Amino acid sequence: MINFSEHKDFEVNSGNLKNVRTFARGLFEKSEYLQNYQEELVLALAEAAQNIVKHAYNGKASNDTMRIKISYTEGLLKIELFDKGKPVVPENIKPRNLDDIKAGGLGTFFIGQIMDEVIFKTSKVDWVNHLILKKQF
Amino acid sequence: MSYKVLEENNIATVYLDGEIDMDVTDKAKEAIIPLIEAGKEVHVNLKDVQYMDSSGISVLIESHQKGQEMNTRVVLKEISKSVLKVIMMAKLEQILIIE
Repeated sequence: MINFSEHKDFEVNSGNLKNVRTFARGLFEKSEYLQNYQEELVLALAEAAQNIVKHAYNGKASNDTMRIKISYTEGLLKIELFDKGKPVVPENIKPRNLDDIKAGGLGTFFIGQIMDEVIFKTSKVDWVNHLILKKQF
Repeated sequence: MSYKVLEENNIATVYLDGEIDMDVTDKAKEAIIPLIEAGKEVHVNLKDVQYMDSSGISVLIESHQKGQEMNTRVVLKEISKSVLKVIMMAKLEQILIIE
């Protein structure tokens, strides 16, 4: 089984979401298990990165960077996102009610559908927000 | 993402391609919404869309709702496998018009 842990920093802007996906695809291709779920995993990560641009930075491009760290150890995939934007209030994050036909909250709903565990942390050093997505294979 | 539009009688077909995320949603809306507002039946062809996230889905929802408001049809055509998976994950396959 292949284990890896890599991270990369990206400037916070919507144009970089494509680069985040490219980075993730490159890593997920390293494992046969991850490759089978590649598009779902890329979607979960990209939705989380999009939430940083959209909510932590109010949709505005910034010179700040966000860090994406992807680790895969003994079948456990851990995707971590760090940013220095507006602090996340976990109680305010609600997935969309599927009976309500609108797009708001859909990204959070997708993340919950794809990943096993979603953990929000407030980082006191270097970063403000630290989101951890986990999935066991 | 890029797009092209073909019009025949009162049907406009918008061919989208590439990856549709937050960065290109305005462009996608600019391609679709004015056609709906002009009262045309709009077909959105998604066969060459390799990736769509919740922002792309929001374009499809807004287009559908604008179609209802204008009393015209917005039909999704030839949806690629990856986009269909996302539509189904959002449980929108019974709400959006898919042919």
